[in-house]
Formats: sequence, C-alpha cells, structure tokens
Amino acid sequence: MSTDSREIAFAAGTARPAFVGPRDRESFFDAQRRNRRATWRMSGLCTLAGALMGIPLALTITPLLYGAALIVADVVNIWWPLPPVFWQLSGEVARYGIASLESLLQGRFANLHALALGAAVMLFPGAALSFVLWLGMNALFRHGGVGGALLALNAREPSQSDLKELRLADVVQEMSIAAGLPAPRVMLIDAPGPNAAAIGTSPTDARIVVSRRLLDDLSRDELEGVLAHLIASIGNGDLRIAFRVTAIFETCGLLLTVINAPFGRQSHRTLWRIVRYGFAGSAKNGGKESAAVADILTRNLSLEADDIDRLFDSTKRRSILRSTRNFLLFPIFLTNFAIKMSLWFFSSTVLGPSLGLLWRTRKYLADASAVQLTRNPDGLAAALQKLAADNGPIPGGECAPHLFVIKPGASDKRSFDAQDARQIELLAQAWTASAQQSGPAVPQASAGDLAAMFKEAAATQRAAFSGDPQALARVNAFKQSLSTLDPALAAQIPDLANFAAARQGDTAAIARLLANRRQQVSTAKVLSPTPASAAQTAQSASGESAGIASSGFVGFYPSLKRRLKRLDRMGAHAEVEAADPKMRLVILVFSLVFGPLFLLLIGLFLLLITILVLSSLTFVVIWLAIIHQLFALITHH
Amino acid sequence: MWILLLVAAALLVWIIAAFNALVALRVRVQNAWSDIDVQLKRRHDLIPNLVEAVRGYMQHERSTLEAVTQARALAVAAPSGDLPQRIAAESALSGALGKLFAVAENYPQLRAVESVQLLQEQLTSTENRIAFARQFYNDEVMKYNTAQSTFPRNLFAGMFGFSQAAMFTAADVERAAAAVKI
Repeated sequence: MSTDSREIAFAAGTARPAFVGPRDRESFFDAQRRNRRATWRMSGLCTLAGALMGIPLALTITPLLYGAALIVADVVNIWWPLPPVFWQLSGEVARYGIASLESLLQGRFANLHALALGAAVMLFPGAALSFVLWLGMNALFRHGGVGGALLALNAREPSQSDLKELRLADVVQEMSIAAGLPAPRVMLIDAPGPNAAAIGTSPTDARIVVSRRLLDDLSRDELEGVLAHLIASIGNGDLRIAFRVTAIFETCGLLLTVINAPFGRQSHRTLWRIVRYGFAGSAKNGGKESAAVADILTRNLSLEADDIDRLFDSTKRRSILRSTRNFLLFPIFLTNFAIKMSLWFFSSTVLGPSLGLLWRTRKYLADASAVQLTRNPDGLAAALQKLAADNGPIPGGECAPHLFVIKPGASDKRSFDAQDARQIELLAQAWTASAQQSGPAVPQASAGDLAAMFKEAAATQRAAFSGDPQALARVNAFKQSLSTLDPALAAQIPDLANFAAARQGDTAAIARLLANRRQQVSTAKVLSPTPASAAQTAQSASGESAGIASSGFVGFYPSLKRRLKRLDRMGAHAEVEAADPKMRLVILVFSLVFGPLFLLLIGLFLLLITILVLSSLTFVVIWLAIIHQLFALITHH
Repeated sequence: MWILLLVAAALLVWIIAAFNALVALRVRVQNAWSDIDVQLKRRHDLIPNLVEAVRGYMQHERSTLEAVTQARALAVAAPSGDLPQRIAAESALSGALGKLFAVAENYPQLRAVESVQLLQEQLTSTENRIAFARQFYNDEVMKYNTAQSTFPRNLFAGMFGFSQAAMFTAADVERAAAAVKI
C-alpha cells in the first residue's frame, strides 16, 4: 500500500510540479501488520528477560525445594525406612548439583554434558514450581473479574436521561459494530481528568470506563476515536496479555510470601487470605477481594521489610537465644534477600523495560486499529492532543495504570485549580453566614480556619442525614445563604428533606432523589472537605503498588509526539514539530557520558547478585547437610 | 513410499485447514451482512417516532415529512431478495432524512426540545451504525475475497463452491446522509 501511494505521488509529481503531504504515508492495515510484528519481537524479548530473571530465582528456590523434600524424607525415614534406592538416587542428584556448582565456581566449563545435567538438576524444579504457580495465579484471579477495579475507581452506570451519556452509549455501540465485536459495558467515573480505560481480564468481561469530563470536553468525532482505541485494544487481546503479565508479578509475590511464611504473622495472614479467596473466590464479594489479594502480592515485591527482615532486625536487644536462632536461620534470611534483590534488579533493568516496550507496541497497534474502525485519524489525533493538554489524575486509577488511553496525570496541586478555590471560598462564606442565621446553639469554627470549618460542615451533614432537626436547619440555612451567593452551586446540593422523607418510605421522594442522582455525585465533590480529599488522593497515588506499570524506567505509554507522528502518517492533520537537533545532541552527549557508568553499575549489581545467589546456595546446602546428619544420628540410635 | 504418504497426508491436512478457514470467513461475511439488516430495521422503527415528534413544530414542512414517510414505506416494502432495489430504497430514505435534518436546522425551538434531541441523537447514531456495519461488511468481504484469490487457495476455492462476495458500495446520496451531524 505504501509503495502504491508513493507511485501515485510520483505520477502526480510528473503532472503537477509539487506534491503536498508526507511522503511516508502508511495505510492502517500496514501499520497494524507492522505493529503486530513488533509485538512478536517484543514478546520474544520479554520471554528472554523473564528467563534471565528466572535463573537466579530458580537457583535460590530449587535448593529450598530439595531441602523440604529431604526433611520430609528424613522424617518419614524414622518410622518407615525408605528403600536404599531412594537414598542412592538422591545422593546422585546432590552430587550432580555440587559438581556443576563446583565447575561453575572454578570457571571450568570443560565437561559441558555434566554442566548441562547439573543445570537441569539445579534449575528445573524451581522453574517448574514457578510456572505451575503462575498457572495457578492465572486461574485464581480469572474469576475475580473487574469488580475490585470498578469499586476502586468509584464507577457508576451511565444515566439514561443525560444526552451526553446516552451519546457515549451510542458511540460504544457504533464502534463495536465497526469492530464486529459484542459491545462492552460502559461505566462512568467523576474524576478530575478527562481519560478513559478498558479494564478487565479478557474480552468477555471487559468494561470501558470513561471519566465524565471526557464527554464534556470532546466532540463526537474525538469521542469515537478514543472509544475505537479502547475497543480495538479489547479486540486485539491486550487485556489478556496484561493479565498474564500481572500474574508473573503476583507469582513472585506469592513465592516470597511462602518463603516468609514460617517466620511471621503478616505472611500467615496473606497466605490464609489467598486460600480463603481461592475457595470462595466467585462469591459476591469476589471482585473486591481479588483486587485486594493481588495488591498485597505485588506489594510484597517492594524492598520494604517483611517478616524475615523483622526477625533479623539488628536494633533489637541482643540475647544468646536470639543470636542462636539468627545463626540457625541465617541461610533462609540470605535466600530471602537474594530473591528480593534479584527480582528487584531484573524486573527494573531487564523485564520492566521490555514489558514497557511490548506495551507500547500494543498502544500503537490499538491506535492503528482505531483508525481502521473510524477511518478518521483526525478524531483520535485531536482527542489525544486534548487529553494530553488537560491531563488530570484518576483517583483509584492505580489499580490499572496501564489500561488508559493516555497516561493518567499525577495528582498534584494543579488539579486544585482556580475554579475550585473560588467555590471553596463561596462555600466558606455561606457556611459562616448560615451560622449567624441559625443561632448560637450550634458550635462553630472560626472563620479563618478552613479545615476546621469543613470538618464541622461534614459532621453537620452527617447529623442531618441521620435526621437531627437542628443540623437539618443549619444545612438548609447554609443552602439558602449559598443561593444568594451562587445559585448554580446551591442547585447542586440536594434537598435534605427528600432524604428524610425517603427514609420514611415516601416513594415520590425516592423518585426525586433518583432524578437528582447525577447532581448528588458532583455535590459529594463540592461538599466534602476538599483539601483533605486532595491530600488523600495524593497519598494513594504515592503509595502505588509495585505491579506491572511502576517497575522499570521505561514508561508503558508511548509519547504523544510519537503517537501523533504515526497517526499523521495514516492521514491525520496533526501538527507535529520536528525533534530539536540541539536536544538530540544533548541526549547523545549525556548517553555517551552516563552510558558507561550505567553499564558499570549494572555489572556491579550482577556481580553482587551472583555472589548472593551462590552464597545462599552454599549456606542452604551446608545447613541441609547438617540437618540430614542429625536425622541420620537419630535413626541410627 | 512412506514419504509420498506423508506428503499426501500433509496436503490433506492443509486443504482441510484452508477449507475451514474459508468457511469461517464466509460465515463472518454473512454475519456482517445480517448486522447491516439489523441496523436498517432499527432505522425503520425509529423514523415514525421522529416524524411524530417534529410534526407539531414543522407545520410548513409537510412535504419533507411526507417524503420521509413515503421513503420509509418504500424501504420497508422492498423485497429482501432484490438487492439493487433495496439499496436504492435505503439510499432514497437516507436522502429524505438528510433533507429533514437540513430543514430542521431552521427551527431553533425544535433543537431545544429534549425528546427531539434524543431522537435525533438516536437517528444520527443509527446512520453511523449503518455506515460502520457496512464498513465492517466490506472489510470482511475484502478478507474473504483475498483469501480466495491468493495462491494456492485459488486453485481449489472455486472447486468447493466459494465465490467472490460483492462489496456494498455507497451511492452519493447516502454519503451525504452519513455526513449529517447534530
């Protein structure tokens, strides 16, 4: 297709003097094909990275497995002596492992056959266990569905009477028809930033989540572009890829939890929760629980202290008992540390970046497919520009930070814009005015102290909801004085009398409340102590989980410029400024200076991890040998 | 001897796979076609409501409304087997609707009525759905035809009764109708 257009351009060039437009046009079919190939390449890279990360992991886990098997065999051996063939075989296995380890340590690679066999003996059990656990994680969380994410995002159903929300439902239907897929369900969130995401574990339970501001800001063409991107992403199977990748991190978290299990209460609790969830997973609360469990597992991966670290806390009082225990359990501590270290290192330098690159090709692919669906690259390009220009945070978006159309903005002070400030000032004025009206019986905060005032307002509101007449009077007075200041703002506050009547079972009041549902949502935003909630969202954003999107320094979203450039090649009329040559030079110089330093750092870390893994291996082997000898003494007596 | 048998078996497996792939593509094409039908039906069902809703406001545009009603009746009555006639009738309906929307621009009070707005949104969406269903159908036809006519499947596609499917081409009237925006 691209050669065709070039020929046409050439032919046109002979007829007319100039050809206007980019020369490197690309049809959306070609773009999709290219991005699919890129996906294959990147998944190859990811597999390689995963295998690389798996080697130290398997090397540390396998001895523990052998150790557990050996201890079980020893215990059994006390009562029912095992046949000598078993001991012969296990001795053989141990010899292979030790021989290969020895040749590795001494740098002798002469006997390749023995080395390969030893590697198989050392690597296979750990790798097999990880793989089985990964399958288990896949099965465990498949039934969890999207309920947890929807709860975290505080998503709601679209209203049937709002024209814009009806239009959203229509556009989703149109795009699903264009893609030949069943239409996914749509939910709305009242977030400060315009953004949208496709969440779920597979195309069958996929949901599209759209922030309300997207509907207010975008035209129909742009909305089509955004939804086409999401539906194309669902159709291309991105959700499944993301789900499987997340399961890798969850598996690593589970392994760490299991290793920690004998030493502390925290991992007991986690394990117990997983087991309980596994048995009652598809119960009504399954979605929420699955999200919570997954969050705990991925959080385990961070380098924070866990049970074993606490056990070895050196700041605690020293005693002979503790020292003995620490000495005896030292190999486990080392293993735990080695696993954590290698997981952290490999996932942030190898696996994370390659996953980021893989995910970028999926985003480009979804863009190209969206152009196929809408045949209107301008719509998507304009929408992306608008979203990027006004990018705001999505509260609760940390549960699926990689599934949005563009990267959700960090929650910062900017979202707390001038309009909000004006509203808060008005609310505060109205609140102080209402205090004078309703008499001195109500305790009141000083006019200057905003935080105390909002606290008081929230408390009064709660009291009014539960039917306190004095509080109700105060809220009504507040509403009245607000309506003199700003009628539009006052109209957003629901009539609390309706709530009181509805509690008594008045159907008309319930109907009024339902009609006001949308206003209520925005009221909650207005009435709630805004500075506190802003602080809360900031807190939840900073405490993001160590899951798929936060590992590694390569982002999961392609830059806006690159996306626009590709859309431009497919025919969009986006303004893409060329890269500044000066900037390029600076980057080149920087990478020349810091590149070698970085490589040196990576080399040092690799060395450290090798030493850690090998010493953990050695210590565990010595430990096991001692335990085995003890058992042998018992049985011989 | 064994090698010959093996090659023959491989060939058979390949032919079966290719045949099944073609059948799957054909089913998708048929499915896409019926999707267009569903959307056309939806449009037929919506039009009477729209005409009723705007009739009171557009007393002076009786002829435009009549044209829409008539075009709809013709489209509904068109025999489902006779493709050219159906396409012509649907195109005429799209044209009449386009004219109605154009005329409705002159009635600002009409655009303020919520029920009319909702209907107009629904109708715009239906026009879009028809256009997208047709686009999907054409994409599927393209895949199906390409799969049939590329070597080596073209050697046996005709033998098993696969034939090229027809694209749904848009008349100019219909293109104009698809450009209608609220």
